[in-house]
Amino acid sequence: MRGLLSGTCLAALLAAGLVGAAHSADYAPVTDSRLDNPEPENWLMTRGTYKGWSYSPLDQINTSNVRNLVPVWSVATGVDSGHEAPPIVNNGVMFVSTPYAQVMALDAASGDLLWRYKRKLPEGFSALHNTNRGVALYGDKVYLAGLDAVLVALDARTGKVVWETKVGDWKDGYYMTMAPLVVKGKILVGVAGGEFGVRGFVEAFDAETGKSAWKTYSIPAPGEPGSDTWQKPDTWKTGGASTWMTGNYDVASNTVYWGTGNGSPWFGDQRPGDNLYTSSTLALDGDSGKLIGHFQYQQNEDWDWDAMNAPMLVDFQHNGTTIPGLLTPQRNGYLYWLEREPNGGIKYLNAVAYVPQNVFKSIDATTGRPVIDMDHKPGTGKMAQFCPGLWGGKDWPYESYSPKTGMVYIPANENHCNKFEGKVEERVPGQWWTGVAVPDFHFSVDTKAGFYGEIKTYDVNTGAPGWRQLYSRSMMWGSLLTTGGNLVFGGGTNDREFRAYNASTGEELWHFKTNSGIIAPPSSFAVNGVQYIAVQSGYGVDAAFQEQLLSELVGWQADVPQGGVVWVFAVR
Amino acid sequence: MTERDGCRVWNMKWRRRRMVGGGLALAAGLATGLAPGARAEDPSEMPPQPGDRLVFLTGPKKGTAIKPDDLPLGGPQAQAYPASPEGVLREGSRLNLLIVARFDPAQLAPETLARATDGVVAYSGVCTHQACPVNAWSDEQKMAVCSCHGSTYDLRDGAKLVFGPAPHALAALPLKRADDVLVVADKFTRHVGGEMM
Repeated sequence: MRGLLSGTCLAALLAAGLVGAAHSADYAPVTDSRLDNPEPENWLMTRGTYKGWSYSPLDQINTSNVRNLVPVWSVATGVDSGHEAPPIVNNGVMFVSTPYAQVMALDAASGDLLWRYKRKLPEGFSALHNTNRGVALYGDKVYLAGLDAVLVALDARTGKVVWETKVGDWKDGYYMTMAPLVVKGKILVGVAGGEFGVRGFVEAFDAETGKSAWKTYSIPAPGEPGSDTWQKPDTWKTGGASTWMTGNYDVASNTVYWGTGNGSPWFGDQRPGDNLYTSSTLALDGDSGKLIGHFQYQQNEDWDWDAMNAPMLVDFQHNGTTIPGLLTPQRNGYLYWLEREPNGGIKYLNAVAYVPQNVFKSIDATTGRPVIDMDHKPGTGKMAQFCPGLWGGKDWPYESYSPKTGMVYIPANENHCNKFEGKVEERVPGQWWTGVAVPDFHFSVDTKAGFYGEIKTYDVNTGAPGWRQLYSRSMMWGSLLTTGGNLVFGGGTNDREFRAYNASTGEELWHFKTNSGIIAPPSSFAVNGVQYIAVQSGYGVDAAFQEQLLSELVGWQADVPQGGVVWVFAVR
Repeated sequence: MTERDGCRVWNMKWRRRRMVGGGLALAAGLATGLAPGARAEDPSEMPPQPGDRLVFLTGPKKGTAIKPDDLPLGGPQAQAYPASPEGVLREGSRLNLLIVARFDPAQLAPETLARATDGVVAYSGVCTHQACPVNAWSDEQKMAVCSCHGSTYDLRDGAKLVFGPAPHALAALPLKRADDVLVVADKFTRHVGGEMM
């Protein structure tokens, strides 16, 4: 009885955030300069740095000792569904966000729980994806993009709410899953809801007060530049171009690069025109949010190929010159080399298909505009098959760039297609509004294919393909992490494995079977001179849905156990 | 306050909350079809009550009371909200979203038939997985589908789950007919809403 009481007391103290208070004196405020140049031992933002490489320079864990990697602590998150956030670490304090807008603060070395915040979602609330992709840190606060489209600032020491600001109306279909991006005292967020007919935007809020500083829509209103690409009246109001993944930031030019999603509804003939800025990368002024450049990957979108991932900021060789570049493997199955122009413009340089794709006949060498094979463009009342299917050559999981190898590592999927046609549907705010019902997706795979998921690699300077890792009985839904130890870490497969590969050769050097499937990005950090690798394991959302379809198509096990656990590994 | 005292106070609060906020509210919820936590003071948020009419949410007859013949035989489902006899549309809570479909009564399972009128069945339109609207229809299976994660329900047989991640069937809403329109005959047969939310 006494033991039970102690446990209850501890739970009460945790709920009140009192245990975390013990760490108050140690918490290191996050500054602009620290975000510009994070210490190697810290993982201060979702992809490690503003450049979005998903790369840790730490090298204590390396190709020679990774076989000795063992779990040193773990903790259950207490929730199911898809865990898609990397552990964010600041001077020994780890912040992990989970589905249903929960944040746990933990001692990064011991795993002790410091505090927990769990957002109470509104009655009747629902979202297509209940996930969260990470918190942002600034000053002494932790910023969470709430699933119900409310931005929440928490006290990093206690987990108590400092302020909340409504970003969008969830009843109209807006919700948020990305990690906020901190840019010079402002907290930038984007919105999801491209399947519900929202109009996307990026909005910045004052980090101290939560007051809106600027808001830039990803679809122009009539009269604004680009509005002539919405040729049918009012389609722009519900045209999609959601902004559901975190942007990257070029500190030198003060430019934010942010990705946008599909058009709404999915069928382009219902919204004639190129539909700027759907499926695009936006370049935004870091102070004002003004749109200063863009690149659209495919016009009049039909395939649910969002361009949600912001390109990585990578300088590469092009025609004998070092280019300030943007590198991005897109959901449409192509890997793009783009140039960051001084005025914020985005210039197309080159693209190669990293998976077989049957929609683009060619890509204009100057503009990057694809020529579409109309036989593979679905329409309203027009059935068409396209490959890769709507989940793309890759979905949201992060690719990684290693400056040590000069290679990009892409978590990819191929040998899958979709086939559908559209209908004209009445929009109900907050409800699915794509023009095609889920049962009519007609997802298919090549049942004779030798693999489906893979890691593909390319030399960023020459464009030459490097090693591949093929998964014969799984899709690949895991973000990748490269490290200074010449390693690639990632999960993503339905067998619950977390793996380490030699970044140069692709040789698998280590693996560990976790509680669930891993779709979250790994991160790396160090405390007291010891390097750790951390990742959440928790299968769900689209990976689980696709796995259920594959169980019917090719007999894979539909039941990949769910339930989140944070794992932390070190060499012993 | 000592840590021990703090725990004792907290435990007492917890016990009280469990009884009043959890236990009684849950009991009341089950009795009235009210989801735990739902507010019942505002009539637009109250769950469907016996005597409520069913009103189209979409389509050319949006906002009008549904007659059995308004619904296509064999599906798909129509979305609806209950409306009080006084005309209050109970759309204040998403948990009140309903789906309604008409079938040949010979196709209905016995329990489903007992809750139907003129072959029309009504269920909660809120998926039991993550509370998304069950607003899609499978022509192949003649079943209602959740657009978020594909949970598929057989409306002819108690809206039992036939595919997908949802844990159980949709709550059924017994119907009767009065003045040619569909009227709620009884409360929801079970808890409404998704897991975890």
